[in-house]
Amino acid sequence: MTILGLNPDELAGCVGCGLCLPHCPTYRVTGLESASPRGRINAMRAVEGGAPISSEFTAILEACIQCRGCETACPSSVQYGHMAETAMVAIATRRPITRRVFDRILYRHVLPKHYVLLLGTWALVVAQRLHIVPKRFGVPPISTSSLRRSLSSDAFPTVFLYTGCVMDAWQRDVHRAAMKVMRAMGASVGLPGHGGSCCGALHVHAGRRSDAQRLAVAVVASMPGEIPVVVDSAGCGAALKDYGRLLGTPEAIAFSARVRDFTEWVVETGLPKMLSSNKTVVVQDPCHLRHVQHAETSVRTALSASYRLLETDDDALCCGAGGIYSITHPEIARQVRDRKVAAIRAAAGSDEVTVASANPGCAMFLSAAGLDVRHPAELLAAVIEEDNE
Amino acid sequence: MGRGRVRAEPLELILYQSDAGTARGQASVVCFPESIDDLSFAIRAANRHCVSFVARGSGTGLAGGATPVANSLVIVMTRMNRILEVDPVGRVAWVEPGVLNLDLTRSVRHLGLHYAPDPSSQQACTIGGNVGTNAGGPHCLSAGVTSAHVLAADVVLGNGDIVRLGGLEPDAIGYDLRGCFVGSEGTMGIAGSIAVRLTPDPPETRTLLADFTSVDAAAETVSGIIAEGIVPAALEMMDAPITRLVEEFVGAGYPLDAEAVLLIEVTGLIGGVDAEVDAIRRVALERGARQVKVAITEQDRMLLWKGRKSAFGAIAKVAPDYYLHDIVVPRTRLVEVLKRVYEIADEQNLLVMNVFHAGDGNLHPLFVFDGSEPGIWERVYAAGDGIIQACLDAGGVLSGEHGIGLEKRDYMSLAYSAEDLDAQARLRDAFDPDGFANPEKILPTGSRCGEMKRAPEGTWV
Repeated sequence: MTILGLNPDELAGCVGCGLCLPHCPTYRVTGLESASPRGRINAMRAVEGGAPISSEFTAILEACIQCRGCETACPSSVQYGHMAETAMVAIATRRPITRRVFDRILYRHVLPKHYVLLLGTWALVVAQRLHIVPKRFGVPPISTSSLRRSLSSDAFPTVFLYTGCVMDAWQRDVHRAAMKVMRAMGASVGLPGHGGSCCGALHVHAGRRSDAQRLAVAVVASMPGEIPVVVDSAGCGAALKDYGRLLGTPEAIAFSARVRDFTEWVVETGLPKMLSSNKTVVVQDPCHLRHVQHAETSVRTALSASYRLLETDDDALCCGAGGIYSITHPEIARQVRDRKVAAIRAAAGSDEVTVASANPGCAMFLSAAGLDVRHPAELLAAVIEEDNE
Repeated sequence: MGRGRVRAEPLELILYQSDAGTARGQASVVCFPESIDDLSFAIRAANRHCVSFVARGSGTGLAGGATPVANSLVIVMTRMNRILEVDPVGRVAWVEPGVLNLDLTRSVRHLGLHYAPDPSSQQACTIGGNVGTNAGGPHCLSAGVTSAHVLAADVVLGNGDIVRLGGLEPDAIGYDLRGCFVGSEGTMGIAGSIAVRLTPDPPETRTLLADFTSVDAAAETVSGIIAEGIVPAALEMMDAPITRLVEEFVGAGYPLDAEAVLLIEVTGLIGGVDAEVDAIRRVALERGARQVKVAITEQDRMLLWKGRKSAFGAIAKVAPDYYLHDIVVPRTRLVEVLKRVYEIADEQNLLVMNVFHAGDGNLHPLFVFDGSEPGIWERVYAAGDGIIQACLDAGGVLSGEHGIGLEKRDYMSLAYSAEDLDAQARLRDAFDPDGFANPEKILPTGSRCGEMKRAPEGTWV
């Protein structure tokens, strides 16, 4: 067993050519080798070769947004994300005690326990009304009427919609839009049963692999059967699709094979009847949709039937949100977002622009910069022709 | 220079010990200038402490040009990445050296212009680094290499003084010092801003893919095309192993069973390019091409080029280490030198892949191996020696575009006489008399006749 538990073959897979550098958002804004995929891999190599797991090493790996844009760019298909997640496990156990207590509360008691998260969200709503939530946290205005009404599941579902933790608390209207579209397409939509409220993606990124594995088992159990599992959060979808690897069990592998991003499912099922809209939309690819799920085409197929789509000329670089990254590394995240916002405005040719984003984290973070961000489900729900039967 | 712009954390220093090549060194300090004044300040500081310095862009170089020797200060240019001025009428842009090659082209695309030299690493490499190595690229066959596209540079010399070399006027008076500086790999100072020529986009472009059942037939087609009087915008060759490797990454439709492919691009007016496409097709078929396809869509075209430009980054799928050579031979000797390259690889029992600028006679034999295998490096270096000898025997030169750096330094005496090397050393000294600028690069130790001006290695530690 090596110090970081990395597979030596995986680590040797990087030849150091540097073609990943321009595709790394943190390298782009800092110009630091230590903030690039190649630098981080070389840092991991140094530690495997005997260098200490110092605060410097920890800072280098934590400054990664884990967007995995480098994986798409890499001609040798280096599995950077997997290596970084593995190295984070070693880092997580060596954090100072105060941080470990904070992490334990967040990852064990808030995210996976949906009632705690919802209670916290109500507290947040009150705080927002009192204007005491700092703007830089990027929390969107939360609709109390939405939060008051829960989602209702259909009898005899033909497809599951995965609702998640933060998204169900803060952006439940997106789920409503997704369900509207799915029902208009003739589907009966089921919701996950008890215990399936958190996918564990943030846990994996933070190096809490065993927590993530426990949550994954619960999520798999919460949506039994063989019907598709549709996910309208790119981050959660990427996590669910990776359960096969995370758990390594036949059930998990079978489960992962059922998972579809919302637009993937829409395109596979056959596009619904849509009214045409004369609206122009700039597509923002959430990293875990593009670089992990490789589902960027289906978003475009689904939306282009009705909207005029515009593309950014920035190699689909990350927006800086990265789960809780924008809170842990606000300065870098803001610089990364500035680039993204500039690219979006340049694509639109104006400041008045609607952005399509299939991930709640990106949507919230970009909204906080003053953009009008809509989930593809919301855009489709707005133009769908409903049957009058 | 300010907080965060000078760094010397132990792990960070390790990350700056080499570029994308094989030579390792050791940095003492790393700094990140944000202006030409910062750059001059850093160099003066290095002078005061008798520390040598080396510039680094994106670290994509392959000859060890950015590898710090003698505990150098590493001056990282990535934060000097502004495009300062674009003159669309005069077709000139002033840029800082840390601007990425492809970013420059992207930023002027809406003007119908581009920056012509396009190294395979163009998405990642910097203009400053391109100037340092006098970089080439597939499209340099017709457009010329970096030197033909650099008009002027504001350069910080080895002692911290700022001078302007070259100028925007069409015919500058006096010696072409700009020409000396381009390709000097940081041994004459570091550019703080660079005036580059912008090239109008061609009205029409056709990209052809010709596939062959023998490497020789492909190489003969290269000469045949040029003999026909056609100078394509690009004329690239890939052999079977590398073709299969890149096809796996890009899925561009490269034939998996060909022994060699040529990627050919012609540009110009619509009637002209179509006539050239016909002529090239005829030449290729006469020399045994199985088929010649023309890319239909822009998407197809981009994928073919993405494949070509990702080639050497893709080799980790085969083995973790590579040694990418860079030699130039007369085009007419391509067939025999290529044959010799395969023989040398066989003699040393090494896997070699060939992906190169065939039109220029610029070969890039790529050895792919596992560096942890005992004795492998000796075999790789022996093969390198053999290739260089074969190249020089055929009347070729040591480097087409990667530079000499550390990698080829000790071969310089094979290519140049003692008098030649002494003259070059004296030219270098004119720019950097104290020898602080990227020492131990390009010229082998003992190039100077008479006394050594520089202190021996280790003195500055």
